[in-house]
Amino acid sequence: MTTVIADPEPEAPRKPLRTKVVESNNQLFRASPLNYLVLVLTFFLSVFPLYWMLVMASRTNDEIVQIPPKLIPGSHLGEHVGALFDNPDVMFAKALLNSFIVAGSITLFVVIFSALAGFAFAKLRFRGSNVLIGLVVLTMMVPVQLGAVPLYMMMDWFGIQGTLPTVILPYLASGFGVFLMRQYASQAVPDELIEAARVDGATTIRIFWSVVLPALRPAAAILGLFTFMTYWNDFLWPYVALSPEHPTVQVALSRLSSGYYTDQSLVMAGTFMATLPLLVVIVLFGRQLISGIMDGAVKA
Amino acid sequence: MSDITAPVTPARARSPWRSRLSRWDQKGSPYAFVSPFFILFGIFGAFPLLYTFWVSLHSWPLLGEHTFTGLDNYQKLLQDPQFWNAAKNTLGLFLVSTVPQYVLALWLAVTLNRKIMARTLFRVGVVIPNITSVAAVTLIFSMIFAKGFGLANWIIGWFGLEAVDWTAHTWSSWLAISMMVDWRWTGYNALIFLAAMQAISSELYEAAAIDGATRTRQFWSITLPMLRPTLLFTTITSIIGGVQLFTEPLLFAPGAGAIQGGTLRQFQTLTMYLIENGFTRFEFGYAGAVAWMIFLLVLIISLINILLVRRISGAD
Amino acid sequence: MSPSMRGTRRMIAVAAVAGVALSMAACGSDDEGGSGSNEKITLKVSTFGTFGYDALYKKYEASHPNIKIVESNEGDLGKYTTALTQRIAAGSGAGDVVAIEEGAIVNFLKAPDKFVNLQDEGFNEIKGNWLDWKNAQATTADGKTTIGFGTDVGGLAMCYRTDLFKAAGLPTDREEVSKLWPTWDDYIATGKKFQAGTKGDAKFVDSATNTYNSILMQEAGEAPGYTYFDRDNNLVFDSNPAVRSSWDTTAKVLDAGLSANLKSFTAEWSAAIKNGGFATLACPAWMTANIKGDGGDAGAGKWDIATVPGGSGSWGGSFLGVPTQGKHQKAAVELAKFLSSPEGQLSAFDEAGNLPSSPKDFDNPALKDFKNEYFSDAPVADIFVEGAKNLKPVYLGAKNQAVRDAIENDLRSVEQGQRTSEEGWQNAIKSAKAAAGV
Repeated sequence: MTTVIADPEPEAPRKPLRTKVVESNNQLFRASPLNYLVLVLTFFLSVFPLYWMLVMASRTNDEIVQIPPKLIPGSHLGEHVGALFDNPDVMFAKALLNSFIVAGSITLFVVIFSALAGFAFAKLRFRGSNVLIGLVVLTMMVPVQLGAVPLYMMMDWFGIQGTLPTVILPYLASGFGVFLMRQYASQAVPDELIEAARVDGATTIRIFWSVVLPALRPAAAILGLFTFMTYWNDFLWPYVALSPEHPTVQVALSRLSSGYYTDQSLVMAGTFMATLPLLVVIVLFGRQLISGIMDGAVKA
Repeated sequence: MSDITAPVTPARARSPWRSRLSRWDQKGSPYAFVSPFFILFGIFGAFPLLYTFWVSLHSWPLLGEHTFTGLDNYQKLLQDPQFWNAAKNTLGLFLVSTVPQYVLALWLAVTLNRKIMARTLFRVGVVIPNITSVAAVTLIFSMIFAKGFGLANWIIGWFGLEAVDWTAHTWSSWLAISMMVDWRWTGYNALIFLAAMQAISSELYEAAAIDGATRTRQFWSITLPMLRPTLLFTTITSIIGGVQLFTEPLLFAPGAGAIQGGTLRQFQTLTMYLIENGFTRFEFGYAGAVAWMIFLLVLIISLINILLVRRISGAD
Repeated sequence: MSPSMRGTRRMIAVAAVAGVALSMAACGSDDEGGSGSNEKITLKVSTFGTFGYDALYKKYEASHPNIKIVESNEGDLGKYTTALTQRIAAGSGAGDVVAIEEGAIVNFLKAPDKFVNLQDEGFNEIKGNWLDWKNAQATTADGKTTIGFGTDVGGLAMCYRTDLFKAAGLPTDREEVSKLWPTWDDYIATGKKFQAGTKGDAKFVDSATNTYNSILMQEAGEAPGYTYFDRDNNLVFDSNPAVRSSWDTTAKVLDAGLSANLKSFTAEWSAAIKNGGFATLACPAWMTANIKGDGGDAGAGKWDIATVPGGSGSWGGSFLGVPTQGKHQKAAVELAKFLSSPEGQLSAFDEAGNLPSSPKDFDNPALKDFKNEYFSDAPVADIFVEGAKNLKPVYLGAKNQAVRDAIENDLRSVEQGQRTSEEGWQNAIKSAKAAAGV
């Protein structure tokens, strides 16, 4: 998956926006100590619940329920994580792998399909395109929960009930992705470039691969990142649809936290391990994620 | 508008075959390009939704006989106090969480929109909550809001206050759930507002500064009006998310009957009511009707918003 | 075309292929081959909580070399039942043998064709293996179809903390404690004494709902033999005197301030077991494993078990059914028979503490003489069997679980002090109607 988003450095077409932002940055007020106080406090509040998760994950069950609470991490994290992976009912290692497969496949296809459709909507003229883009926006408003039961029956007709494709297929059409790509493509892909390629006799699909897709890479990277995070974290449908032998990591988590007796520190260790990959992602791609959120906002 | 390419006239003469092929390509490709999305959505999005509508016209227990009842389910739903209670909670929770969230996010955006050291660190810091899964957020916050050993009660104990049974009361449960939602989304929205602020031309501020306007005044008379389109856009997103609020209230008070959202149904949202009818009562017909009411609600609110946005962007 | 563009294209092509390959790999099915009798077949057993079947699987596989057993287990009963119901309705995805809890089996009896009728599989010859009321629960109203073999019963007792009792000046010996509460009114009176004598924050009872459900099953067993629905499945919530009087007795417990107001099986409830937050807990056999799990080593020897007020009761207990969607129904029925046989139940008791539903086991020394070390060496089986043997069958309507969930919530609103008992009752009537869909 990472091959697609490995090189999110924007190419030529994005230059104008960059310089504009930098310019306005030069005009900014200097931050006061009060501002720093607000920022530090916000940072603390943002990170604290995750820190608290680590504290609980590294303490024994007895310590978790003590008053006054223990505020610093204990020494049992390794032990709990070990217990997590050793528990055959939870299948945590398999769940992690499954989540990678699910979130990864969805990401790949969503990016490709969204780029195709987004390009078509932004740059190609065809009858009905206005109605169709309206439909795309409409699709963003359909919550999956509404169709859970028919969807479940359909998976059965296809004979794939309970397996990983049941939680991959319904998510491959992303209205948000198409919309994002359309917005981005209409600004980032110069019409002249497409026209020039056409004059050279390039087919539309060839124009897509060699002109449009490279220009869309920054947006594709962001869409990929968001899609991956969303489906890594997805819970309800996988919970309903997957058979117990094919858990994703969120489903495995819920299996840890339910049941007649619950080991809270183990649950927290599981939550920690389920969040860790995304924390790694944000450390590696934090800058791109932020510019993605901000670009999406300006262009939408 | 720039997003429509002018038809390309071939510069050189081509063989008729090639030009026909090229015409097909230009006519057909757009449809081919958008078709994967629409085919997939048709199968996995539209069909289940339409099928749900068909189901909603029936008395359809999960096990047992199905009978066609027309619009009976809808009629019953409109007179169902539990449905309206869920609608009220959904709207209430949306307001209680969104209003402070926007105020905080704006404040944060203004603060971030300055010359600051370690800019990326602070920005990454505020989106960290957003990458945490809802399930994880709720598990963590449920421990924090535990009645007996939770951090929240320990802290209010410093001020000599009585421990609160957070899941029991309307105000306390709404407060706790709003905090989960806001923790996850305030930083994200702040970044969106920040982006919009940075796109505002600095000349406007310079002119205002020359006229002697204070920073506060500049915020109210320049920043906020210029942010209006962005605010409306994020509001749509928040509404769609808010109407579907589910995991936080569900996992907040776990155990038997969790789907009812508290002992007084004080934090049962519409989606929870949908799932309760479908998967506790196993009445798919009625649940289907709830599903369609939610869908219509989202649709109406969003359409109003889209019209508003269009009018405002048209006025620019 | 620039080299970098070509590079991108190749990269994406490779990624696409990899993605497809990944999702294909994920499709890898676990279907079994044909159904020839000597062919190797895999039977899937779906359970929730702890059934204690590991030893039995090994034994069965040893004597049936062509059979491989795979158990899939779900911790939470509610989620398990929802998923099972969905899979039964969808017509696929359920196990070959499925565990069904007593609250859920009524719902499945509405669609008996989804399960193998065990009466066609020799059930009538072996029905003496189970208590009568247990068999009645798994049989349709016309008596012609039985969809489950009984596994365990939740024969009820009262677990109590000897250390807290001692501190409050109450007797601690299990015989004497049992004598404290022949009736629920005596139990409440004891609770008041406890509350007056105790020094810490401990409450007498964990929550209203466990008490309420125990009382209800006793009262309904006396008369009229059903709870929220009569035998024609009409909702009789507000006209059944057994329901009202159970509600009122529970309200007395609450008015006396005896409840710790902790919802069962939540993190807080578990913490209270550990920290001594309450002194008594209505306690079916399977609950002993919970207490031990939550209480940990520190709790060993602090608990004991007395009889439940009113003398008998049942909470929980399950069945094994064979869905007709399965590919190997004959083999599945055989396995279910084996697992639920008197010997099988005894083995499960050994492994998980689940009380057998077979009267043939009740006099077996392996059960009778068993003493639970964690519970101050209480002769657990003896106490629980007393709770189960005398129980009269109670009919639960098809929507029992939905109504029960709804009105328990109203009861808890009284417990939290948000409504008076009467307000709670009035609201419960409405909730019951909504949940029953009338």
